[in-house]
Amino acid sequence: MSTTLKKTIPVAIVFVVAMLVMLDYFLVTPPVDVAGKSWTSGVVKDLQNWGIVLTAFALGFGAVNLFYFHSKHISRRTPGQWMFSIWLLIVIVIFTAIGVFTGPTSDQYNWLYNASYFALSATVYSSLGFYMTSGLYRALRIKNVESGIFLVVGLVVLARNAPALSVYFPVLGTWGSFITDVLTTSAQRGIMIGGALGAISLGIRTMTGRETGFLGKMTEEEKGGGGTA
Amino acid sequence: MSGQGKSIWDTLENIPREVLYGILIVVFVVPMVYPLGLPIKISASVREWHQAIDALPSGSVVMIDFGYSGGGEPELGPMAVAVYHHLFKKGGIKLITMSTSIEGPQLWDLAMAEIRPERYGAQYGVDYIHIGYIAGGETAMAAVGKDLRATTSTDYKGTSLDQYTIMDGIAGADSFDLLICYTTGGDQSEGWVRQWYTVYGTRYLCSVLAMMVPTMLPYKNAGQIVALTSGAQAGEMESLVRVPARGIKSADVITLTHLLCLAYVAIGNIAYLGKRFSGGGK
Repeated sequence: MSTTLKKTIPVAIVFVVAMLVMLDYFLVTPPVDVAGKSWTSGVVKDLQNWGIVLTAFALGFGAVNLFYFHSKHISRRTPGQWMFSIWLLIVIVIFTAIGVFTGPTSDQYNWLYNASYFALSATVYSSLGFYMTSGLYRALRIKNVESGIFLVVGLVVLARNAPALSVYFPVLGTWGSFITDVLTTSAQRGIMIGGALGAISLGIRTMTGRETGFLGKMTEEEKGGGGTA
Repeated sequence: MSGQGKSIWDTLENIPREVLYGILIVVFVVPMVYPLGLPIKISASVREWHQAIDALPSGSVVMIDFGYSGGGEPELGPMAVAVYHHLFKKGGIKLITMSTSIEGPQLWDLAMAEIRPERYGAQYGVDYIHIGYIAGGETAMAAVGKDLRATTSTDYKGTSLDQYTIMDGIAGADSFDLLICYTTGGDQSEGWVRQWYTVYGTRYLCSVLAMMVPTMLPYKNAGQIVALTSGAQAGEMESLVRVPARGIKSADVITLTHLLCLAYVAIGNIAYLGKRFSGGGK
């Protein structure tokens, strides 16, 4: 496949689409209609709806891929895996059949979801509490100044988040608010700004064809085919 | 220490996890079965949330994102239920719900079964509706904000939105006076800021898992979120709304388990320092 088909055209599409979406997000670009919406509004609306359809399609495609992947495990009898793969496929078939034939909001589907996935999901998430409690006991120890500071800050926030303790010791609220509103927010803002700068950089590289990961496997020659690498 | 019996410090420093877990289960289960009714302080964030809803004039339209997963339901479910009670009690407000989580419609059904909106005289399609799961995350938020009817034409059961009077005059984000999001995903909670608050200036209330609060605090402190709560504060909301339920019970459990954690940390450190000063440590 030529570099034009494999790289230049996809990158050009990405560039045009990204520019349209950004123009629509940040600016009201003339000509403007009677409702005060710029010409990009209708185009971007269609693009966003395409995105939703594609995401929904990707979910279905993911299920097909899962089927394909685990069927291979079953046919190869992969040790320690194939039995779980059978179980997974059975569950997918049951959920799909009931969802298709009775509807995803039917009583039958809701019962299946509530009795299986919902209960298991909540249980797995809740079990984190045990690990965290054990982790607190073993890891939060005053071994040096830094761990001492960590311990004090952690204990204040922990105590502040206990509803009754905040009533009996109102000072915990003041200290906790300082930690979360000043210290945590400051640090979190730095992380977020750093992440945003990285995302902008990645976006520009993708739009200009310097980032080719989204195009799939490419040779070094193909990556540089646009003369931008 | 070889050849000698274990010191008290060693024992305290290495309590088997089975013991730690066993005590935790007892401390967890007892207040669930026998609620203690420990006091709850209503925090500023919950009061801000409550006031934002109280300030809504009659006829306001609220968009609610039921965006949490089954794993987060025990934490966020009670908060969502308490807030729905408040909205239904207030009356005269149109509640349009969508889900950015694929499990949202199922969890919304569970919540409605717990709330029973009919006790407030609320009717499906007239006072509240669920327009279903909309795939695409932030793209879905942007699309719904731009033109809801172009994004989805049916409710979560597949009935045309044209059949529901609640949808009359609803076009996009401009039609909404308030946005509420319950989510277990950072992309959702932050996405609504980017796609609705920034573009349309929609007032935004956000409820997330307790561990997600630090991530969302910069938005709250910058004024982009009117009120930010964690699901663990559901007991406070239930107290304000005067509909005690799972959140109040959870408040007792949270207090006692947090106290247990403090005790564990204290024991671990006393043992560690005791061993160190008695010459047993490094």
